[in-house]
Amino acid sequence: MITIDYKDRKPIYEQLIDNVKELVVKGVLKRDDQLPSVRQLATNLAINPNTIQKAYTELERQGVIYSLKGRGSFVASNIIDLREQQVAELNQTLAKLLAELFHLGVSKEQIITVVETIYREEQTS
Amino acid sequence: MIKAENISKSYDSIKALDHVTTEIKKGSIFGLIGSNGAGKSTFLRLLAGIYRPDEGEIFIDGENVYENENLKSRLFYISDDQFYFPTGNMKDMADYLERIYPRFVYEKFTSLAQMFHLDINRKMSTFSKGMQKQAHIILALAAQPDYLFCDETFDGLDPVMRQAVKRLLADAVAESQMTPIIASHNLRELEDICDHVGLLHQGGIIFEREIDDLRLGIHKIQCAFATPKEAKDFASLDVISHHNRGSLATLIVRGDGAKTEEVIKDMSPLYYELLPLTLEEIFITEMEVLGYDIETLIY
Repeated sequence: MITIDYKDRKPIYEQLIDNVKELVVKGVLKRDDQLPSVRQLATNLAINPNTIQKAYTELERQGVIYSLKGRGSFVASNIIDLREQQVAELNQTLAKLLAELFHLGVSKEQIITVVETIYREEQTS
Repeated sequence: MIKAENISKSYDSIKALDHVTTEIKKGSIFGLIGSNGAGKSTFLRLLAGIYRPDEGEIFIDGENVYENENLKSRLFYISDDQFYFPTGNMKDMADYLERIYPRFVYEKFTSLAQMFHLDINRKMSTFSKGMQKQAHIILALAAQPDYLFCDETFDGLDPVMRQAVKRLLADAVAESQMTPIIASHNLRELEDICDHVGLLHQGGIIFEREIDDLRLGIHKIQCAFATPKEAKDFASLDVISHHNRGSLATLIVRGDGAKTEEVIKDMSPLYYELLPLTLEEIFITEMEVLGYDIETLIY
């Protein structure tokens, strides 16, 4: 379920954080679902348990998961924030792309046409 | 915790280690990297208490390691050329180690040997190099040391075995807070298993840092500008290397990623990309700064 891409230049703990968040946003991991233990995940992925602990600590700090002493880590309930966060991030990416298109001389109308086509297709599918 | 204080070691006129001071925390996986002849093996042998430093001292959990039998029974050193009894098999090694290591678990030894498909009754001299390495890793894990010193142990294992060994190490670290110290040239190997790395060069430790800090503290930037920029235009950044190819500039910059990105953005580039470096690239960059340059090696 959680995988690491060794070719990715992102540090492993960031990959872990993004991975868990994605699973939560997509609804694969639901509220109060238990995450694999540090030892389990370290052994499965053959990576350093300290790295996993670091990622879990950061996820907990961000409110994505909570941990119960001696029982493990669980998905927190405020998943809506996470969705908003992702929307904000994607909007940023979109802004970057739009700026690039602008510099390439693509008109606003052309972009709006693309947007309308995509929204139409997604809604019907 | 391992504490090396100002240690030096020479072989006749050759200085292998020159006033090295470092600390390795318990429960971390420490990667020791460095050029050939940088002093990695010497450092490990000093940690294992095989050599006595000419100067300085090494403390492991507060005790001096040299000639300290009690402490040594909690350390395991896998040498680059492993020892085995000339006509002995793995069982003989296990019997021998069981007497030295009070926490040696015989069942762990036999089950791991089975997992790795190694015949414990076969003479070790008939093992291939890779199999001998595997055999010693198995013996080391069965001995359950607090500190495990691996001298290029991963090099020479096939990919499946390497992955299996990494899993076993990760498990041992999570379960019993074992502290492995791994010397290797294969930086890709170290990247995913180590949390701290130390770079040795010509007998001195150049840096010792957490791997994530290391990787996030140095970036490669590719950018292009309408009018070509010169080195002085990037003066506000801590530039380590700078190459121009046409209008495309490739920089390696030390410092915080977000700040670096801001500076570049303010110069209104046509295009830019900020990439964290891989450990291999960091190694090459740092070595270049020290004058150990690939260009000068090849030409």
